[in-house]
Amino acid sequence: MDYFFFIDLIQSTVDGLLFGTTYALIGIGFTLIFGVMRKLNLAYGAAALAGTYIGLVMFLTFDAHPAIVFLASAIGSGLIGLVVYLCCFRFTPENYPMASLLASVGMLLFIDEVVIHASHGLPYPYPSVFRDAIIEIGDVWVRGDLLFVFFMCVVAMGILFWLLYRTPLGLATRAVSQQPRAAQLCGIDVTRVNMMTFGIAGVLGGIAGAMTAAAVGVLSPVIAMGLTVKGLIVVVIGGLGFIPGAIIAGLLVGAAENIFLLLRGVTERDIYVMLLLFIFLTLRPGGLFGNAQSRD
Amino acid sequence: MRLKPLLTASALALAAAPAVAQDKTINIAGFGASSGVVGIFGQNSGAAMAAAVEKINAEGGVTLADGSKAMLVTQYYDDRCNAEEGISVLRRIASTDAVVAVGPTCSNVAEPLFGILQASVDDSGDTGLQFPVFTDVAIKGGLAGISEWVFRNTPSEATMYDELFAWIRETHPDAKTIYGGVEEDFAHSRFTWYSVMKTAAEKHGFEIVGEAQWLLNDTNFSNQARGMRRAEPDVVAISAHPFTTCGMLREMARQKIEPKVLVGLTSSSSLETLTGCANEAEGIIIPTSFAPVNDAAKAAAEAVGAKGGALDLHSASAWENIMILRDVIEASGIEGTPESLEEDRRKIRDGLAALTEVNGLLGTNKRMPDGEAVKPYVFVNAASGNWAVLHNPGS
Amino acid sequence: MDFYLGLLQIIGVHTLLGLSAYVVLLTGQVSMAQAGFYAIGAYVAAMCTAMFGFHILPAILVAGLVTAFVACIVGFPALRVKGLMLVVATLAFGEMVRMFFFNFTWRIERGGELVGPNGAEGFRAIRFFPENGWETGDVTVFIWCVVAVIMAVLWWVDNSRAGAVLRAVGHDETAAQSIGLNLTAIKVGAMTAGGMIAGMGGGIYAHTVTHIEHLVFGVLLATFAIAYPILGGLGSVFGTVIAVVFIQGFLVEGLRFMGEWRSILFGALIVLAMNFRPTGLLGERMPRLFKPRPSESKLEPKGAE
Repeated sequence: MDYFFFIDLIQSTVDGLLFGTTYALIGIGFTLIFGVMRKLNLAYGAAALAGTYIGLVMFLTFDAHPAIVFLASAIGSGLIGLVVYLCCFRFTPENYPMASLLASVGMLLFIDEVVIHASHGLPYPYPSVFRDAIIEIGDVWVRGDLLFVFFMCVVAMGILFWLLYRTPLGLATRAVSQQPRAAQLCGIDVTRVNMMTFGIAGVLGGIAGAMTAAAVGVLSPVIAMGLTVKGLIVVVIGGLGFIPGAIIAGLLVGAAENIFLLLRGVTERDIYVMLLLFIFLTLRPGGLFGNAQSRD
Repeated sequence: MRLKPLLTASALALAAAPAVAQDKTINIAGFGASSGVVGIFGQNSGAAMAAAVEKINAEGGVTLADGSKAMLVTQYYDDRCNAEEGISVLRRIASTDAVVAVGPTCSNVAEPLFGILQASVDDSGDTGLQFPVFTDVAIKGGLAGISEWVFRNTPSEATMYDELFAWIRETHPDAKTIYGGVEEDFAHSRFTWYSVMKTAAEKHGFEIVGEAQWLLNDTNFSNQARGMRRAEPDVVAISAHPFTTCGMLREMARQKIEPKVLVGLTSSSSLETLTGCANEAEGIIIPTSFAPVNDAAKAAAEAVGAKGGALDLHSASAWENIMILRDVIEASGIEGTPESLEEDRRKIRDGLAALTEVNGLLGTNKRMPDGEAVKPYVFVNAASGNWAVLHNPGS
Repeated sequence: MDFYLGLLQIIGVHTLLGLSAYVVLLTGQVSMAQAGFYAIGAYVAAMCTAMFGFHILPAILVAGLVTAFVACIVGFPALRVKGLMLVVATLAFGEMVRMFFFNFTWRIERGGELVGPNGAEGFRAIRFFPENGWETGDVTVFIWCVVAVIMAVLWWVDNSRAGAVLRAVGHDETAAQSIGLNLTAIKVGAMTAGGMIAGMGGGIYAHTVTHIEHLVFGVLLATFAIAYPILGGLGSVFGTVIAVVFIQGFLVEGLRFMGEWRSILFGALIVLAMNFRPTGLLGERMPRLFKPRPSESKLEPKGAE
């Protein structure tokens, strides 16, 4: 193992960990929705993408400051999340999960096509912060914009935790995710909680989408599928319905992806990521922390 | 009763009717991706075909075998870049009175589609479809060889990159090393790096010091750019489509990689790259078979613009295809009746196969025996958000 | 005419894909791996005919058997995960299969040319049908014979005890287990059957398009596979057929005049369908029209001892 390989390994891990926070956010979004509704929202990645495009519109028409663009992306995704809830989960039967699953698939296709139609499929530049800033620690370069992404995602997680553990809405959400019947009996409006959860998850997705676009520098409809698949992998490794699990799993997948890229090249990288998923499924089907929440 | 005048009037009307019914039309269908992520290609091709047909009709149309004139009509069908749908669309076109089809846009539709056509003409044991296809956009190397009913008017990347690297060798004598960047999971970009760019670079004395690979949907290019930075290449060649090209260029800018020469993929010399990353793409050199460098090209660009499309190297092929087909129709003696449909299609195929040279917008296109084309080209580079001609070998 | 025959080919092949997901869905498992099985069937059958000169029928059968074998192996670990985790696990498996074929290169010389899968560039020249005198109509008849046989088998299974057993597992695993049903055998069996059908479908698909590559067998195809039976209704096999006709016939070809709006309408219609008929077009129970007539009842009325 020569010196450069060692440096590459550290570099890949650092980059992967920083970028992995976006996967963590998407994972949290999936997990939140699963927690309260026990259902999978496959339109989540597309909603995040569409919200990011709304932020892009702010950038292109008003040349807005990046902070406004990111905020617009987040809020846009939140609103679209609410629309997804109304169209796919509000009126479909509780006891027939396949209907809402397929409805969310239909929504995914619909949102994707609307975005492509509106943008003519062209890639657009997306503002990023600290684009050229690099912190050099010896031979290891830490990207300034990835540090910002990491920071933003941590802030988002912090706000989420505050919301969940320090507000009445958070209390209601946790109640519904643990015991929906009992929560209803206590007078909690389950529909309202579901709606707010979709909105919050949407906002998280928007932040993840915005950060991904900021890290690449270009926004294109093709990133929706990648976000969705990675998010699903993260949620399974972390344990369905368990938020800290999703965070750790996101970082893990981000780092692992980059390390596999270094070791085996891009054509085999994804095979190894999937193998990692299968190892977790075989050895720890309950997720990283063997949490009992993942009971179906 | 005024029967006599009534009878006379009816007789005159009947006599006049056949004269009105003489207006024949020749139907040239277009197909490709006009919706979806690559929808802009199909939309441009459709507009180019509509503009070309309008021009020909304004000049009187095409002359048929019996000397009469016929107007051209065209319609564009959407295959959404999907192989099954492309095959279905061509079958649909073959069931109309179209005599030839121009398309498809995507190489992943072209390869399956050409496979369902009859491979060799007059091979009675081959039940493949017998319908001529004249491709405008799908550019992956060597596809016309799949069937003798297929002809392509796409630039020969092998020739262009060969000349490009020769020219770089001449104009940058101090450039010795080259590093490649390639989109591995897309057949066209992959083929072009490994089989075209790499071979051409080695042939002209460049030393390949490394290759970076990534996938279509990748969002992180740090590892790849790092390898590139360490190798400190003089030339960097990126064989990828606009999204990942832009991503990689940004990463290169971030890691302060500044090669002396930057080379791109043919199909990236379009609006997409400039919309995505005009700043980072500054100076990238791409060989292309179309730029508005002469009057004919400029006039065509205007006509296509009026139809709502843009004329670039892809849609320019569609325009040229219509013009070439007009000449083939007139030279082959097409009858244009429902009974002669099969024969007309065969005549067009034979006419296209017999061509050795045709007029293109940039000069003379050579037509090869395997159905491919070698077109005149220019080298363009991205300058201040536009594609500017850097070197015109034809002038 | 050729066009309609070609469209029937597409509908037939997609029906096989849908039926493979249907069998697995009956047992309550949502499997996104069917596109992966489809891919395996496609490559195996194509290799059989293009590289080793098999006739199409043994090629399809070999493809079905190989895929069934792989599906059986996948079925066992799939038991350990339930519900929505299975969706992700099978999705990941499908992607792994796709990545495998992305890297898979094996070409042999036949008739002066190299034939076989060529990694990212795909597998071309799968021309058994045109080279052996099969007209479009012949292929369509062949495909629908295979579809008819498989539908008949599934229909017969549905109306026998086996069908009730499958659906019992699908509705409530604990109850099924408590009456003595062997969950492992049933779920793995369903996965194997689904794999076989998908393998045969994929094998036929490869020959209708003459060129296959890894990008075709992605997440989108896996989604279509489960969309057909869910949209059509799990009550009977006819639900899947009707859904395929609706999507491939009406939405894709029939709405062609709508131009760009076709794809947008597609997603919207699925969302609407799931809101207004959540159990599918033909519903969850077998439609009255298709119910077999009850045979002479062998039960005596209660009081008549």
